[in-house]
Amino acid sequence: MLQEAQTVASGITGADIAEAAKYVAAGLCMGIGAIGSAIGEGIAAAHALDGMARQPEMQGALLRTMVLGQAITETTGIYSLLIAIVLLFVI
Amino acid sequence: MGEIFGQLSGLLEHLGEKRIGVLSLFGTEIRFDVTAIVMSWVVIVLLVLLALWLRRGLRQPVEEKPSRVQAALDGLMDLLRTQLSGNFSSERLAVMMFPFVSTLFLYVLLSNWLGVVPYMMSPTQDLNVTFGLALLVLVLSHVLAIRFKGGRRYLKGYLKPYAFMLPINLVGEIAKPLSHAFRLFGNILAGTILVAVITAKFMPIIVPSALSIFFGLFFGGIQAFVFAILAVAYINVAVED
Repeated sequence: MLQEAQTVASGITGADIAEAAKYVAAGLCMGIGAIGSAIGEGIAAAHALDGMARQPEMQGALLRTMVLGQAITETTGIYSLLIAIVLLFVI
Repeated sequence: MGEIFGQLSGLLEHLGEKRIGVLSLFGTEIRFDVTAIVMSWVVIVLLVLLALWLRRGLRQPVEEKPSRVQAALDGLMDLLRTQLSGNFSSERLAVMMFPFVSTLFLYVLLSNWLGVVPYMMSPTQDLNVTFGLALLVLVLSHVLAIRFKGGRRYLKGYLKPYAFMLPINLVGEIAKPLSHAFRLFGNILAGTILVAVITAKFMPIIVPSALSIFFGLFFGGIQAFVFAILAVAYINVAVED
C-alpha cells in the first residue's frame, strides 16, 4: 500500500504541479476578481432603481447613466477575465 | 499583445480558423488576420446595403402617409440623435460628431451581431479591431480638444488641478483607450468562448443557440451602445475644461 502510494507520488513531476496550479489560479482569479465588479454594478443598479421609483419621468437619463457607470465598473472584471484566459490558454 | 491573443484563438478551434496573412512593405513584415479583415468587409457591405435601403425613405413627399422604410429611418435617426448625440455638452459638437458616433455604434453593433450567424466571426472578438477603434476615438478626441481649446489651454489641461498631477493625467490618458478596447474585446470573446465550450463539452443542441442569442444579440447590443457612449464621454471630457 505504502509502496504503491510512493510510486504514484513519484510519478508527479514539477510540470504537472505547474499545470494544476494554472487551473487553480485561473479559477481563483475569475472568482475573486468578479466579486468587486458584481457588488459595484449591483450598487449602481440599486441606486438607479431608487431614483426611477422616485422620479419615473427621469427613467431614460437614469438608465443611460447607469449602463455607462456599470460598463466602467465592469472593467476590473474584464481584466481578471483576460488574465484568467491568458493563464489557461497562453502560459 | 495581439500575438498572444492570436495564439489563444488558434488554440480554441471552435472560434474559427485564424488565417495569418503576411505583407512585405518597405522591408518590414506586416502580419494580419485575414478572417477579421474579411468579416469587417462583410460588416461594411451590410452597412452600405442598409444605408441604400433606408435612403428610399427620403424620397417620399411630406403630405403622404409615411411608408415602412421611412418609419424605420425615423426611428433609427431618433434613437441615434437622442440616446447617443444627445449626451454631447454643446449643440455644435453634437451636430459635428453625429455621423462619426452613429457610424461607430452601427459598425460595432453589426460586428457583434455577426457572431451569431453560422460560419461568421465577430470582427470585434479580435483585439486588433477593437484597439484600432479605440485609438481612432483617442486621436479624434485630442485633435478636437486642440481645435476647440487651442494648443496652450490643451497643454495646460495636463497640469490640472496641480502641476505635480502630470504623471497621473498622462497615465489616465493611456489607460482610456486600453480599457475602451479591452472592454469590448473581453465581453465578445467571453461570450464566444462560453458558447464554444458548452457546444463542445456539455450539450450541443438547444442550449448553445439560446446562449448565443443572449450573449450575441443582447450583450452585443449593450456593448455596442456602451462603446459608442464611452466615445461620446471621452470626446466630451477632452473638449470641456
